[in-house]
Amino acid sequence: MRILCALDKDKLTLNEAPQGFSDEHLAKARAGDTAALALLIRAHQRTVYSLALRLLGTRELAEDLTQDVFMQLNGNLKSIASNTHLLFWLRQVTSHRAIDQLRRRSRIEMTSLDDEVQLVGTADGGDPLLQRHLQQLLLELSPPARAVLLLRYQEDLDPVDIARTLDMPVNTVKSHLKRSLEILRQRTPPPERRRCEDKST
Amino acid sequence: MSEEFESRLRAALRPVAPSPEFTRNLIARVTADKRTEANTPGGRRRNPKATAWWLSAGMAVSLLMAVGVQQHLQERRETERGLEARREVIEALRMTSQKLNLAYEVIKSQSPSLADDKPGV
Repeated sequence: MRILCALDKDKLTLNEAPQGFSDEHLAKARAGDTAALALLIRAHQRTVYSLALRLLGTRELAEDLTQDVFMQLNGNLKSIASNTHLLFWLRQVTSHRAIDQLRRRSRIEMTSLDDEVQLVGTADGGDPLLQRHLQQLLLELSPPARAVLLLRYQEDLDPVDIARTLDMPVNTVKSHLKRSLEILRQRTPPPERRRCEDKST
Repeated sequence: MSEEFESRLRAALRPVAPSPEFTRNLIARVTADKRTEANTPGGRRRNPKATAWWLSAGMAVSLLMAVGVQQHLQERRETERGLEARREVIEALRMTSQKLNLAYEVIKSQSPSLADDKPGV
């Protein structure tokens, strides 16, 4: 409830929802059209699953959280005004629930993210070793800092939207971003050195 | 340098898709939940939180009522005990008075000087 009350729909400047799912589809899903609901899940599952995976660190927990978020959405669908609102809601609920889960668990087992890294690597042709390295570093950050960084670089939100999504002051978002980037930069070797390291191993 | 690092970070954090099997199961579960909700008599299923709230409120009211009834019964029992004690005291006084009158009659019959006095003070 707090989440929905905190939302000021007029001030939303979040980036556009994925293509292929319109406000018309949303209206159909709200009316109980299961085909439209399936389309909604297909359109937004990457966002929810990726946030959950990178925040929680394991595929099992990410899948459980993704399912919980969509089940919760199913119960709250009537309160979702637009596709932009839907995307905001999904990001907010996923982040809050993942952070709460991480706080409840003092120590979470960090299993390998190899499979997910391979998926990203094959999809965009990027450096899979660098991706794995960055994702492992990400898991060492505090949960709120991790959420801030993911919303900035995975979801491409600006600090104001991140602050609104995570219910935190904009200055806190900026300081989290600055500190986290410093940590990641210090612990990530430049591309040339990485190539040498890879050859030597 | 900073922008280059940020673009590398952005590339590393591109959204990933869950497995197709997971997507299939998720859609099946959520849409099944939607159908169950639609088929539930009276429309939407009850919110578990609201149900829990009403259950707690009902239990609290029942508890308060039980305490109130208990207190009322206790007060009634005490009043009855008080009335009984009062009746016993009056009975005791009445019996004492009778005995005193009897004693007075006996003494009066034995000493004629008391004959003019009235009995039962």
